[in-house]
Amino acid sequence: MRLEHIVFHNLRRRKGRAIFLVVGLMIGVATVVTLLSLTDALSMRAQNELENFGANIIITPRSDQLDLNYGGVQLGGVNLVAREIEQVSLVNIDTIPNRRNVATIGPKVLGTVEVQGQRVMMMGVDPVAEFKLKRWWSIAGRPVKQGAELLVGDTLVKRFGLAIGDTLQLNGQDFTVVGLLAQTGSQDDQLLISPLLAAQATLGKEGKVSMVEIAALCHDCPVDDMVNQLQQVLPGTDVQAVQQVVKTRMHALDQFRLFAWGVAVTVVIIGALLVFVTMMGAISERTREIGIFRAIGYRRRHVLHLVLMEAAVVSALAGVMGYLAGVLATLVTLPLLDGGKAIWHWNPTLALAAVAAALLVGLIAALQPALRASRLEPSEALRAL
Amino acid sequence: MTLINLQQVTKRYINGADCVTALDKLTLSVKEGAFLGVMGPSGSGKSTLLSVLGALTRPTTGTVTIDAIDVYGLATEKQADFRREYLGFIFQSHNLIPYLSALENVMLPLAVSRFSTTEKRRRASDMLARVGLPDRMLHLPQQLSGGEQERVAIARALVNNPPLLLADEPTGSLDTATSRQVMELLAELHCSGQTIIMVTHNRENLEWFDRTVYLRDGLIEKDTGNSDCSLSQAM
Repeated sequence: MRLEHIVFHNLRRRKGRAIFLVVGLMIGVATVVTLLSLTDALSMRAQNELENFGANIIITPRSDQLDLNYGGVQLGGVNLVAREIEQVSLVNIDTIPNRRNVATIGPKVLGTVEVQGQRVMMMGVDPVAEFKLKRWWSIAGRPVKQGAELLVGDTLVKRFGLAIGDTLQLNGQDFTVVGLLAQTGSQDDQLLISPLLAAQATLGKEGKVSMVEIAALCHDCPVDDMVNQLQQVLPGTDVQAVQQVVKTRMHALDQFRLFAWGVAVTVVIIGALLVFVTMMGAISERTREIGIFRAIGYRRRHVLHLVLMEAAVVSALAGVMGYLAGVLATLVTLPLLDGGKAIWHWNPTLALAAVAAALLVGLIAALQPALRASRLEPSEALRAL
Repeated sequence: MTLINLQQVTKRYINGADCVTALDKLTLSVKEGAFLGVMGPSGSGKSTLLSVLGALTRPTTGTVTIDAIDVYGLATEKQADFRREYLGFIFQSHNLIPYLSALENVMLPLAVSRFSTTEKRRRASDMLARVGLPDRMLHLPQQLSGGEQERVAIARALVNNPPLLLADEPTGSLDTATSRQVMELLAELHCSGQTIIMVTHNRENLEWFDRTVYLRDGLIEKDTGNSDCSLSQAM
């Protein structure tokens, strides 16, 4: 027989109190785990959205001129004395410390061409990169691939009555319409989009790009750091992070996270009080028993060990059960939030932290009752003597 | 050989303005192997004497030496070790742990020792067999009679082979027949060399002691001195 034996026998004998403690702590742990798991899942969903959101870094030539505007982003002078980015300088992007976070680089050249006597904006793109960046584009026909092919924005389709297979002569070069872009509600509706090389040749901007859009994989990546790194390797450009929408959402999630932690701390304090009061009651109830232990030669630390081990067993059990209950509650709640798009991911840190926190709270709350028990004078505990 | 030596032991209990002297400059020596009965009216200091001897209550003044060890010169934790190694307690109301079996109750003092579980179990079952309960080992205290509970308490007190057994009214809650059985068991232990100090109210137990000390107001009123093994007298 060891001290553990006494602990388990005592817990078994005082089932009601043990169950009360386990359930009380379990509810606390489950609440904390649910809130943190929900925050985690919603944050991850927001992060994933950030990755699929398209470009989140935009590089434009530094310009003091009056600029044209594209997608709400200031572009370098297109109409005026054009200051463009040298396309060869883009290889420097591959030298930044966070290069692994760079998922897609979408260089673009912008300029104006004349169609049926009207000036319209032409954009040359790297087709593979661009269609990765603009996942929301809906195209009738097919995307441009190479050569003198055109994808026409919805506004221009309607204005000029264009159809797939039509040919447009732009600055003396014949382009074939291969795709029609469905209405996007953005300036993309007013663009003639062609492969980069063809557009550069047509616009007389060989080897130049007007702007670069970059999609960085930003789950835990420091976008602001990347902006600084890109700024350093691309002198003469302006590098900006575009993530207001997601940041707004992340801000809301941060507020929720803060709320979750507030609730967690409150629940932990209530749990600690529960353990404290219950253990104090248990010590009073077991005064005589503790007197017997002391009288037959148990040291103070043996009594301390008995009480703390009891608290540890109950708390660890509550931690494990609370974690499982919290996960279950998260799985039930998650489909009701965020249109069911957020997915629960197993977080081993949260699992360990839940059990460890329950254990810690239980032990800290039981420390004072345990010390009180260990300091009981055996002669006082044993009224018989 | 003297096992116990109390020199000028005084114990006062102070409660507010009240001061009660439970032991008053008490001096007492007990030889190894003695079966000492302590008698006296309520409040005479019997239980306090047992408590002081048991390293449970520090005397206000005076020294308590057991087996040449100054008991109250030991640090608190060492006093616990001393109780475990040198003393066996038999309490008035058995004081068995209700959720442990008879065997586990006897094993209690061994739980903090370094013996293997097998050795602890062997010692405890041997001791239960010695007190006549070989077939009641797995019973809980509430499943045992008063006499059987007392025997379990005696087995628990002896399982560490302590040099001194302290018994506080061990027959106080037992009927006459059961009391006699318990006293026979204690006398048998005494004859095998066990030193026993027993507090009792019951004058019928006098025949078992080889020495009796009468206390009144914390002082020794009468001391019968030493005599030989009482087993022969009882038989």
